[in-house]
Amino acid sequence: MIKDIIKTIDEIAKTDPTRDAYDYLGKTNTYGDLKQRSDAYAAKIVALHLPAKEPIMIWGGQTFEMIASFLGAVKTGHAYIPIDSGSNNERLLMIQEVSRSKTVIAIDPLPVKIDGVKVITPADVPTVDFEPNPHYFVEGDDNYYIIFTSGTTGKPKGVQISHRNLLSFVNWELSDFNLPAQPSFLAQAPFSFDLSVMSLYPALVSGGKLVVLPREATQNFGELFQVLPKMQFNVWVSTPSFAEMCFLDSTFNGDHHPDLTHFLFCGEELSHKTAVALQKKFPQAHIFNTYGPTETTVAVTQVEITPELLAKYDRLPIGYAKADTKITIDTSKGEVNDQGEIIIHGPSVSKGYLHNPDKTKAVFFKSQADTELSYRAGDLGFIKDKLLFYRGRIDFQIKFNGYRIELEEINFYLSKHPLVKYGVVAPKYTPDHKVRQLVAVVVLNDGVKEQYQQAEIVKQLRESLEKNIMPYMIPQRFVFQDEMPISQNGKVDLKAVIKEVNQA
Amino acid sequence: MDTQTEVLNILSDLTGEDLSDQLDENIFETGLMDSMGTVQMLLELQDKFGIAVPVSEFNRAEWDTPKKIIAKVESLQNE
Repeated sequence: MIKDIIKTIDEIAKTDPTRDAYDYLGKTNTYGDLKQRSDAYAAKIVALHLPAKEPIMIWGGQTFEMIASFLGAVKTGHAYIPIDSGSNNERLLMIQEVSRSKTVIAIDPLPVKIDGVKVITPADVPTVDFEPNPHYFVEGDDNYYIIFTSGTTGKPKGVQISHRNLLSFVNWELSDFNLPAQPSFLAQAPFSFDLSVMSLYPALVSGGKLVVLPREATQNFGELFQVLPKMQFNVWVSTPSFAEMCFLDSTFNGDHHPDLTHFLFCGEELSHKTAVALQKKFPQAHIFNTYGPTETTVAVTQVEITPELLAKYDRLPIGYAKADTKITIDTSKGEVNDQGEIIIHGPSVSKGYLHNPDKTKAVFFKSQADTELSYRAGDLGFIKDKLLFYRGRIDFQIKFNGYRIELEEINFYLSKHPLVKYGVVAPKYTPDHKVRQLVAVVVLNDGVKEQYQQAEIVKQLRESLEKNIMPYMIPQRFVFQDEMPISQNGKVDLKAVIKEVNQA
Repeated sequence: MDTQTEVLNILSDLTGEDLSDQLDENIFETGLMDSMGTVQMLLELQDKFGIAVPVSEFNRAEWDTPKKIIAKVESLQNE
């Protein structure tokens, strides 16, 4: 059982400094490098004399300097806020505003100047002889990282994950998945997505290795399918959608990836069809379905998808709760017998959203007899034979290609557009319950249709959305209607629109 | 059904739009198709036409309009 993430990683650097920790398309860095660079970042941060515990934003992709700066931050008692450099300027500015962070480590060049915020680049951080004082390491209930999710009306919410939260998660992953010793992990998810944590810390605390598949290489199939067949690792971590993309590669199978023994899926529903196809390609591998909101630290349930399980269930279970965590169902929130909202209770539940007591109070709670916090997941589910099953959302949040999207956030910006009278976005689902595309259903203001061509209107709406929301939130399709289902309180009836879109 | 109609059916299913009168429309620039959509498209084309798309040489610029996709499928069928 690991007791301290930072000390454990440093210990490996001391006993085995030449062991590889990071492999970025063949460019490797050792545990010794990791200690040296993270200590250098720590020295730089100490010299800034920041207020204690003030979080530090870290902007970049998936390079080695990113993880070195993460560790540099936590070695000096500061939580880090990972922001992927694929994000737009507005998101960066919004995260700064919400977090009130006064420092950004720009591993990639910053696209925008932020007033009153100090920028540190890797060039400002010379490698020096410095041994950070363990007394200042992040520990206990102090924040270790803060990951921002999207939030309604554009304000993202910062989920605060403490060292204690992270320990609960990491120890579970190391004990309940029967992983090989010193496992090497695929590191594909961007660091701003907490799926990345499923690879990052379990690898580093056990002397394993991260084998990086950077976003740039996954954007273009040509490159992806040149890189992927050459990669060797033990543990695959991704969304099911990403694995499906790899099905296109005829060499994506056990014969060509003999080291690959484990698949860990999280971030969206694993369909029966995908699991069957994967089992055919990798008959020797162990396939795990997992589930958990960012607010409860990456994942809290797991189940191995065996042939027996596939024979028994058409829609796969999401797993058993980890030993230190209790999951209950609030059936007052469900419409079907025994179904209800999933409530998660245990040591990996976050203390709440940074600087947002209202939103925190709405979903986090602690009853008097409890020692641990509980989180209302907003997910609909039920428990049978101790196994948890997922059945959708109780609100208008969806998962699309692994990203968590609040439809109301897109609706907010779409409706604000001067050409639009009503605008809402509906997910269109595949037969196996995955979101295939986002469809914007729009009623235009009077006279707009006569004034512009439809293609011109779509272009204008798209361009305006691009300025305010993440690229993965932009609807693929725009449908124009003369009217919209309106509910009794005078608002657009979202449920009715979603139903219409999925009937067509 | 001929190749053109079949391809357009697959595209219309994926994008939700009838592209039969927009054969030169760039489906990536217009946002109709993204990378996950491309995966679905290629999987369905391979399935429907029994062709093997050489994905390691995949170049998006060769697949960015309905017309180019139809031509690609036809040339792969003749291989």
